[in-house]
Amino acid sequence: KLPNRARMQAIRSLPMSFSERRNIRLFMVIFLTVLNLLCQHFVRHTLPLKCGSWASVRQRLVIWQDTLKEIGGRFGTSVLSYFQFLKWLLMFNIFSLLINFCFITIPQIVRSPNITHPISFRGLELLTGAGYFNQTVLFYGGYNGEVIKTQPSYNMQLAYLFTIAAYLVLCGVSLIYSMARSFQRNFVLVAGPAYGGAWRLLCSWDFSVINEKAIQHNKDNLSIQLKESLSERLQKKAVVSVSAKLQQISLQLLAWLLSLGLAVGSCTGIYFLELNLNDISDSGNLEEEASTLLVPVVVSLINLVIPLIYALVNKMEHYTNPRTNVYVIILRNVLLKMSILGILCYYWLSDCWESFVGQSVYRLVVVDFIFCLLGSFFTEFLPNIIGTKCFRSLGVPEFDVATNVLNLIYAQTLAWIGIYFSPLLPVIQVVKLFIIFYLKKVSLSMNCQPPKRTGRAAQMQTVYIALLFFPSFVGALSMVAYTVWSLKPSEQCGPFQNLGKPFQVVLDWMKGVQNIPGSEWAWWTFEHVLRNELFFYLITLIVLVAFLAVENFLIALSRKSYIVIIIVIVLSPSPRLMFLCKKLEETSLPEENEAAAPKNN
Amino acid sequence: MQIRLYRNCQVEQEGEVWFALVKFVSARNKDESNQRLCRTNRTNNTMGATASKLPKDQLSEYQELTFLTKQEILLAHKRFNELLEREDRQQIGGSRVPMNKILTLPELKSNPFRRRICQVFSTSDLRDGSLSFEDFLDLLSAFSDSATLEIKSHYAFRIFDFDDDGTLDTGDLEKLVNCLTGEMDNTRLTSEEMKQLINNILEESDIDKDGTVNLSEFQHVISRSPDFVSSFKIVL
Repeated sequence: KLPNRARMQAIRSLPMSFSERRNIRLFMVIFLTVLNLLCQHFVRHTLPLKCGSWASVRQRLVIWQDTLKEIGGRFGTSVLSYFQFLKWLLMFNIFSLLINFCFITIPQIVRSPNITHPISFRGLELLTGAGYFNQTVLFYGGYNGEVIKTQPSYNMQLAYLFTIAAYLVLCGVSLIYSMARSFQRNFVLVAGPAYGGAWRLLCSWDFSVINEKAIQHNKDNLSIQLKESLSERLQKKAVVSVSAKLQQISLQLLAWLLSLGLAVGSCTGIYFLELNLNDISDSGNLEEEASTLLVPVVVSLINLVIPLIYALVNKMEHYTNPRTNVYVIILRNVLLKMSILGILCYYWLSDCWESFVGQSVYRLVVVDFIFCLLGSFFTEFLPNIIGTKCFRSLGVPEFDVATNVLNLIYAQTLAWIGIYFSPLLPVIQVVKLFIIFYLKKVSLSMNCQPPKRTGRAAQMQTVYIALLFFPSFVGALSMVAYTVWSLKPSEQCGPFQNLGKPFQVVLDWMKGVQNIPGSEWAWWTFEHVLRNELFFYLITLIVLVAFLAVENFLIALSRKSYIVIIIVIVLSPSPRLMFLCKKLEETSLPEENEAAAPKNN
Repeated sequence: MQIRLYRNCQVEQEGEVWFALVKFVSARNKDESNQRLCRTNRTNNTMGATASKLPKDQLSEYQELTFLTKQEILLAHKRFNELLEREDRQQIGGSRVPMNKILTLPELKSNPFRRRICQVFSTSDLRDGSLSFEDFLDLLSAFSDSATLEIKSHYAFRIFDFDDDGTLDTGDLEKLVNCLTGEMDNTRLTSEEMKQLINNILEESDIDKDGTVNLSEFQHVISRSPDFVSSFKIVL
């Protein structure tokens, strides 16, 4: 199938009209048929392509198609990329929800032991996740790891571990693949003029914008940018003096010190706040439960306020290259968010601690959602009112793609960390993402204008996917892996109650497999290959390299097809032989003939 | 005859040999394709009401020859049908839609390059910018998500080449900039700025210093801006 696909890709990539491409394809089919005859066996030339059908399957699963087109038509590609990123994350969470529900929750609900609910349901549980929810299947504590005695028996412990492991592995593979593709297509290490190259501006005209006002807006912006680039070119002649450079560098250093200091300060603050609060108990005391909300509220406040401070600090330093500017801002924000999460993860260890961690993550997710709503209000709705009614000079706000994408990445990191401790957390994440999509869409149309600078959306897309993989997914994965491999699960609750560590269950199972005759190979593979650490490093390397190489291989193969086709045409025979070959084509493609038969007169 | 042509070509790249050969062959086979077009017309007439739907073998052929998926081709078929006159709807294979009707599509209505796009993709002998269904599919394929950088840069070059002479000279560049900037007095570039801008453009991209930008120089410049592929997109 592989060479066939490359050949098809070669034909599609020909910049000529449709009828000419049809003729080329005909020649290629003739050549292949002749070749087959010569080799004395018929290869079935299957049409249509199987890989084409995968793309059409994906298209059928598309939701929000019209909405996305409308957004792209008015606001352009970079804003559209935010909404596409959100949709992609939603797919991850829906998948996780489905498999968790099918393999873990339903068996538990069906075979549930008698769990007494000492506390009645009060409204506060939706925010804190404690109290009534404590003993339900929402959290780790609600699962009791028994082996369900049906035919065949269903081991809940193994199911819990393997479902979550399978989901995380699939996520990892999907992320690596997207990253490799995106890197290959979009990332160009440019050595030439940094920004404001006139060609770059002209060629970045966004063809997907179809709203007339937006097009006019883009035209005005483009002329402003062109004029700016012209004046920049003239100004470049001026030499920057040494003292000015020193001043610039010292300002940048100061800005970095300030941002790192703020990040470290907020981390220590949160750590001591956690230390001083008591653990949640099932005492049912309303005040105590409400006080557990303090930490998530503080975390979300920090996540809202400090990036604004960073934006202010950024105004005082001047980077010559606007691209560097954007990367610096993103780096600082990522450092802040990930260090806060790191400190929280480090803190979470106590009695029936898995449920406690699950509840903390749940609280963080819910409060983050509330602050996202508030944030949208403050950063989009209010500036719009101010810009149009009070200070007209400020104008309507722009949609800040970078900050919003970073918020999405943070929310997804929380979901990935929490999945081991709270298997139904994806439900909340799915609901949250749905609501955020519609909220941002409404806010966009009511409050924002299209971006002024046609930023490099494609390159930023690669950066966002890479950020989603590297600190976010890998960090969450390491935390879950550490919990499974090394920490002692709590004694009174959860599916791994009597074991030294959760991974023990897999070891015991493999020992059981060893005793079954005929499957020693499985045990041997497990013991000597999978448990060897070097194996994992090798696998990672191989996977990364493979995905990057496959694309290049296909391109190289398609070039070879050019030569094949040139040979065909050089050998292009007389009309009589062509007629003969056409007849051959018809006989070797019987399924086309049934439809084509009436055409032949 | 073909072998002699191969040797006479003064081009170095394998790709250009390929194009030259294929152009020669396709010129020879042009009447054949016209005959096929007429045959489809006659067959569609006899097929009656079912001709307004796309037959399965044609659909798979379109899928193979363009970058579009099945859903996109069917949607294009539906939208193209709506543009045709009522009596032409039975023979979608052979009819052409005049340019002014194509320009009523919302995706092209406000596009600054709409006329050039129609002219570039039209294969009509009258050079009036009218598109047949296959031209329309060609258009959507070049502007689709999965089209390669080479295809997009090739067609972008032809669209920007307003006088169709195969290179982008000063006149073409000036028209290009005027298309993309506003028409209001405060946003339009003055003639001084225009001269300076065109000088900058030529400085950046004109490698052989002949005062014009040819296809390979254009593709070289385009390859350094990765945003081009994602912004050169029109979706129905």
